[in-house]
Amino acid sequence: MQAKDSNPPDGGYGWVVVVSAFMVMGLTVAVLKTFGLFFVEIQQHFDGLASTTSWITSVTIAIFHLGAPVASSLCVRYTHRAVVITGGLLAFSGMALGFFGLSMIWMYVTTGFLQGLGISFSWTPAISIVSHYFSKKRALANAIASAGECAFAFTFGPFFQWLISQYGWKGALLITGGIQLNICACGVLMRPLTSSCLPKASHSKTEIPPGNGASRTDKEDKSPIIHKTFNWMLLRRPEFVLYTIFGILAAMSFFVPPLFLVPLSHSLGIDESWAASLLSILAVMDFAGRLLCGWYVNLRVTKTIHLLAMTITLISTSLMLLPLANNYLSLALFTGFYGFFFGTTVAVHITVLADIVGMPEFDSALGLFMLIRSTGGFVGPPLAGLIVDVAGDYRAGFYMAGATLILSAGFLVTLDQLQQRKERGSQTIIKSEKSTLPYPSLHLLKHQ
Amino acid sequence: GVSGPPLERTITLANATKVGLICTLDKNSPLKSPQVTWKRGNETISHNSKAENSWSIQLTISDSSKMGSYTCILKGQEEISAVFHLQVPKIEAREKPIITYERDVAVLLCTSPYTPMAWTWYMTSGSKQIAINDTFETDKYAIDRVSVNDTCLKIFKLTKADAGVYWCEAAFQLGKSKGKVELKVLSFTAPLKPFLAIVVEVVIFVTTIVLYELYSKRKGKR
Repeated sequence: MQAKDSNPPDGGYGWVVVVSAFMVMGLTVAVLKTFGLFFVEIQQHFDGLASTTSWITSVTIAIFHLGAPVASSLCVRYTHRAVVITGGLLAFSGMALGFFGLSMIWMYVTTGFLQGLGISFSWTPAISIVSHYFSKKRALANAIASAGECAFAFTFGPFFQWLISQYGWKGALLITGGIQLNICACGVLMRPLTSSCLPKASHSKTEIPPGNGASRTDKEDKSPIIHKTFNWMLLRRPEFVLYTIFGILAAMSFFVPPLFLVPLSHSLGIDESWAASLLSILAVMDFAGRLLCGWYVNLRVTKTIHLLAMTITLISTSLMLLPLANNYLSLALFTGFYGFFFGTTVAVHITVLADIVGMPEFDSALGLFMLIRSTGGFVGPPLAGLIVDVAGDYRAGFYMAGATLILSAGFLVTLDQLQQRKERGSQTIIKSEKSTLPYPSLHLLKHQ
Repeated sequence: GVSGPPLERTITLANATKVGLICTLDKNSPLKSPQVTWKRGNETISHNSKAENSWSIQLTISDSSKMGSYTCILKGQEEISAVFHLQVPKIEAREKPIITYERDVAVLLCTSPYTPMAWTWYMTSGSKQIAINDTFETDKYAIDRVSVNDTCLKIFKLTKADAGVYWCEAAFQLGKSKGKVELKVLSFTAPLKPFLAIVVEVVIFVTTIVLYELYSKRKGKR
């Protein structure tokens, strides 16, 4: 009686949605990642300090995380399609208005706030709808969609540099805004599933007014599910809480390596252009990791949560070993490993969330998860910076990241143990269980 | 030292100071008891101190006339020389041209590693360099000193005529040094064309998808 998306397509039009989500990932997160190219230009134009200029990106990231739960609750009420289109328009307006560049505050509002909101409203529904459209092939679909971020980030680097050299930073912002308008085109492709957002609550968190509920239940054969626009009850579930703690710790470490990789290579005496190539290696291995992981999860050889714990451990191993590198080749090797395992983790962690909370709650869970996880993302870099300052060496940052990841893996293992204990408990109640599925827990609840 | 390309070293000086230049001969060198001369161009300078295998001169650099290249020449069976270039600091300015738009504001920055006494900005008109000073319209140009080592030229109400090369000159006690900044001025329509092209593409794409969906819905109903 687990109400779910009745017969998600698992293919067919779903692949169109995957491609469209691929594009949306690229047009949102990749733009955010490569915004650093505009940084120096904007700083010089407004005569500003590096810190005041970097607040633009801080605002964008902050609004991106705060907007995620808003976006996911709007998804439940209106369709994913509508929210993505709105996001595309917001992101476009942010960049296009940034073209006027009236003052630093203007930049905070436009390229900071509007862009952040737009990215948030586009990214969250895109990730979510892919999960709605697939069940058996969900991991693969998620992995392909998230790979868009790497593919676009790789090309946007040189592309933005060229744009800025041709049109200046203002013109480049305008054109980038136009490019982001394509998010709307991708959004139109995201046809809502007729069964996905089941009877919508017209009032948040309270009962469905009888008129609304009755008309909907006529169409559906199954019992009406109350979709709350924002489900705080999720926090009562220990599995969800454990997973969010894992998310916070993981987020604390995720932003650290790309930040310190280039300074570390400088301190080892590596030339600037070679140092930049390390980030490219990271992006390429990330891409490969995501695709490979998606394919592997689809084979259903390992339970997703076990796989996640393994990949996290592998990342932390590469991070702990990375400081041992003393020349370009060894650094590149460890960076490659880190990038690959980072990709595998990103590819699978959303699928694990869906496995933990189930599809009806997935939208609100995603928003809530992003919101809580963001605290880790905000605390991580400054904390790492503090540790580096105290230790006087960039390697300390990598050790810190590795240690936080091992801690987070611990929470994953606890979560898995908790789930297994629950399964064993429920299995003893349901004695006549004929299922011989290799991993009894989650999939039992999902299929059939 | 052995035969090969002459050894060179650059020394950056901004203010009047005393400098000691030392040439040291490697113990394993085949050259024994060479004859040493210190020269600046064709002029020979008497060297005032000698240690076992090193020869040095003390210089008081008080103005720009004392700057330049000083060479120590060791003559024996072979001749070895080393050159010291005494130079004013190089000004760092943006290498790539600054791209701005008409009626916008341009901000040109120059940085010096040492604090100069004064900065002067020049604009090039034809082949001449004209200094930008108070005689120019004050609502068009503004020169700010952002920090002790930086200077910033702001040009308001840009027109296409403002495009070109600008020079920032830093005056030190020991001479002057220039940095070059290139300014390009585009009209608003330049980025507008690709922008509108993309917007049109998006509109066409969206309309096509919407029409296709309506069409297939109608087909499904029939």
